[in-house]
Amino acid sequence: MNRECALIITLAVAVRLVLFFAFPSLPEVLVNRVEISTPVTSFKRLQEGLFLYRHGISPYDGGVFHQAPLLLAFFTTLQSSDIAFKLVYIAADVLSALSLIQIANSGVAASSALYTSTRKDMQWPSWRVAAVFLLNPFTVATCISRSTIVFTNTVVLLAISKAVGKKPAAASMALAMASYLSLYPALIVPPTLLLSYDCLPSNKKPASISKFLAVQTITYLGALGGLMGLSFLITDGSWEFLRSTYGVHLLLPDLTPNVGLWWYFFIEMFDSFREFFLCTFQLHLLIYVGGVTIRLRRQPLFAIITLLGITATFKSYPSIGDMSVYFGLLSLYRHIFPLMRYTFFTISTLLYASLLGPAFYYLWIYAGSGNANFFYAITLVWSLANTLLIVDTLFALLRDEWETERPEMKGKFVVQI
Amino acid sequence: MGALTQLLRRRKFPYRIVSVLSVFVGVYWFLQLPTNEHSRGTYMSENALMPGQVHTYFGGTESMIFRAYHHEVEALENATSTRRVEMLGKIMKDNGLEVGRQKYTYEASGEVYKGENVYSILQAPRGDATEAIVLCAGWRNAEGELNKAGVALTLSLGRYLKRWSLWSKDIIFLITEDSRAGPQAWVDAYHDMQSTSVEPLPVKSGVIQGAVAIDYPHKNFRAYHLMYDGINGQLPNLDLINSLIKIADNQMHVDVKLQEMWDHTDSYKDRLRTMARGMVNQALGHSSGAHSSFIPYHIDAITIQMTGENGWYNEVTIGRTLESICRSLNNLLEHFHQSFFFYLLMHPHRFVSIGTYLPSAMLIAINFTITAIGLWLESGQPKDKKEKDKNPKPEITESEKAALDTSVESSNKTTEIATPSNDEPLIVERQLLLPVTIVVAIHALGFLPLYLFNNLDKAALTPVFYAFTVFSSLLPPVISLALRPLAPTAQTFTLIKSFSLLLLGLFLSTLATINFSLSFVIGLLSVPFTFTRFLKAGIFERILFWGVIQVLSPMMALELVAKYWGLPVGDILMEAAFGWKVWGMWTQVVVFGVWWPAWIAAQVGVWSPLSGVQRD
Repeated sequence: MNRECALIITLAVAVRLVLFFAFPSLPEVLVNRVEISTPVTSFKRLQEGLFLYRHGISPYDGGVFHQAPLLLAFFTTLQSSDIAFKLVYIAADVLSALSLIQIANSGVAASSALYTSTRKDMQWPSWRVAAVFLLNPFTVATCISRSTIVFTNTVVLLAISKAVGKKPAAASMALAMASYLSLYPALIVPPTLLLSYDCLPSNKKPASISKFLAVQTITYLGALGGLMGLSFLITDGSWEFLRSTYGVHLLLPDLTPNVGLWWYFFIEMFDSFREFFLCTFQLHLLIYVGGVTIRLRRQPLFAIITLLGITATFKSYPSIGDMSVYFGLLSLYRHIFPLMRYTFFTISTLLYASLLGPAFYYLWIYAGSGNANFFYAITLVWSLANTLLIVDTLFALLRDEWETERPEMKGKFVVQI
Repeated sequence: MGALTQLLRRRKFPYRIVSVLSVFVGVYWFLQLPTNEHSRGTYMSENALMPGQVHTYFGGTESMIFRAYHHEVEALENATSTRRVEMLGKIMKDNGLEVGRQKYTYEASGEVYKGENVYSILQAPRGDATEAIVLCAGWRNAEGELNKAGVALTLSLGRYLKRWSLWSKDIIFLITEDSRAGPQAWVDAYHDMQSTSVEPLPVKSGVIQGAVAIDYPHKNFRAYHLMYDGINGQLPNLDLINSLIKIADNQMHVDVKLQEMWDHTDSYKDRLRTMARGMVNQALGHSSGAHSSFIPYHIDAITIQMTGENGWYNEVTIGRTLESICRSLNNLLEHFHQSFFFYLLMHPHRFVSIGTYLPSAMLIAINFTITAIGLWLESGQPKDKKEKDKNPKPEITESEKAALDTSVESSNKTTEIATPSNDEPLIVERQLLLPVTIVVAIHALGFLPLYLFNNLDKAALTPVFYAFTVFSSLLPPVISLALRPLAPTAQTFTLIKSFSLLLLGLFLSTLATINFSLSFVIGLLSVPFTFTRFLKAGIFERILFWGVIQVLSPMMALELVAKYWGLPVGDILMEAAFGWKVWGMWTQVVVFGVWWPAWIAAQVGVWSPLSGVQRD
């Protein structure tokens, strides 16, 4: 790690410390923002769960707590020290940044075993990537709100950095942890395993890729099984937690508004259609995995990023914290930005949605002069902007691949018909 | 997206024309609002209110009691606050009401605002204390005058309404120390949101459905003056206003005035003036009467002010009006929701709703966004390309045009064709770091005045204000000079302008949904930011731009507001600090966080030659 990185991390920690301790009311404001805290990540609910857990009542009995049991065990060891809690969140963000720096330093984004971009010199140095992640207001707000998505993000980034760092087993285990914490990271398992494989040096590479994948899948499932077993023990030998955590992700019993598209849809829906649309919505997330992984076989890291972006947009309880990790990872692909077509439009849309969202939520909930449609309209705009960004970066990446293949076509218009 | 791609491809987006057009259409739209074709007559939406359809009985006997209370109030004029509250509480208690008292202290600009509120609750004979109506009178009204008749009337209504058995909602009679801090302290405490310097309430009732404040210093009057602006420009439901106007017109035959328009002839000019005055109040976002503090809590509230001395109406008229409006509110089945929350009133019987007026503010806000997009495209334009554009030549072949509409990643079944095009790069690489840093830094700097003006002492406000005005005028040339070592290009300044306008458009269109008037006013005053041509401008043009922008600065606006109210600037700043501390007013955040940074950025553009930038 060089000086610039250290500087950025120090700055980011300072910003968080100032926001935590100089503005004591800020965390309390942010923890109640629906854009930041969802029913499955909210710090308030975590506190409730911790209270029940400490008093020997099953936190999964009521309908309030939907987070993983290991979080309970972890936070119980911290006692109820407010400062320790805050430091843990800051540490998690720093760890995420360190993983990102490692990924950036490896240069995998522009040149790997299977593919080397002609634009690889345009990549950002690692400190800029760290800055994009750490100083992004979305990341900062998520950290200050102490939403537990922070930990998921950390483990996801850790998994990628381990995959890049030639430690496939560690990557699989980190991925198991991420899936354990919030289910949807399970979708990035295939590209991450491929990334692990691609990054291995040729002398260590197992002869058969299928064997490698099988071993890693078993490692992943084994680690996941281990975590489940541990949780089973922690919650006094009950599988109740499965229904209250993953069941909530899958079945959407809590319809608190968030930036996603699900809550409004399922409020409006007749009950008889609920199961059908639950399946449709979940399958919708699943169908991208195969296609994206196969199409981006030469750049599995980008497949991971794209899938993270898609889940951040379409999962059942998304928050801006999901998007912050997507933005952070996207900055690794600085070299394809000039090929994007709607940068300005997308960023303006994102900015508009980020401002109008709270404004319309205020009109709906506090002023009483608006209604739910106001906020929902903005979540649609937000999702539109995300989708545009995903599609546009995907276009830019494919264009980059194509220009590398056919250098004579550089800078020319191309149309697929 | 096909159209957008084409625009991006051709980079000949006529943004200036579109911008000018949107401003003109926006202003024209606004000026059309008062006409009969575009405004609407008011009407009752919530039929349950049935305004003015009950017989009212507040009459001769009550008038005698009112006079007795009036004497009591006069006797208390010079009494201490404790003694006053004690006496008023005793009268309420003697009338069989449950009484509560509350002390509060606020501090703003080094001044301390102290007082004590007293209130009583009439428990509804037919209700279960889940809903309530508030009748409120400040001991002193918004102008600081003793609200003699108002307090006496509240007391006598407490006695009179208690006798009826038809109430299904509790009625709270509230007498606050003043009409600014007192109601805020009370309503905050009612919802358990009070700050530590405010006492909690000893007795409470249910959800407040409506509040009517009485501003009635002299016994006889000629007309009602209806005040309805809430804090931060929020408005009560139009049904409440309509109910009062209907009762006043049809039952009491009293004129209702709005926005201090004492002689309203219902002409276009008068309508426009009423609307404009309403918008100024809304834009300032301050409290205009005791009712204003209720509105942020989603309680629809109005103040009725009796105007015109030695008029021919007396307490019986207003007493019956209030009785009637209480009966109407008592009829409410659910919270006010039927009618409009966003409207501009131009006459007691005419209004425009949000759907009609919003486009005007949005068009003005969009003009900034359009220019921002145009400048962004311009900043990516290669230099030689610009020259080529001057000699017209076929830009895009037909096949290209048709083909551009198809998205590239849509399918993989097709062949890829590449049409040969100009060999030059599509877009010049943009150096974003410097412009983004400058724009963000200027916005961050906006917190400085915000903090200063909200926390300084009274005596320091005026000198600091003038010092800040000088600082704001000097800052842009200093920024431009400071950029010199970084060798900024024309692109840097184009991008600074683009980002600053993008943010301005963004904030203003968001603001237009919350506080239309503030957004419209700031938007109008910021229009010159769009049209400053700083790179190609000659020296005289530059001086002209500098002058225009200098005149339309936030600081000048503050001076103007001071003129409008006939107060020194220091008092306005005190009022603003008081609003920030007590009412939770957000106007200064918008001024220093949105408007001021955009203004500084515009001036940086005007001063750009100082940075040694190459002129095109």
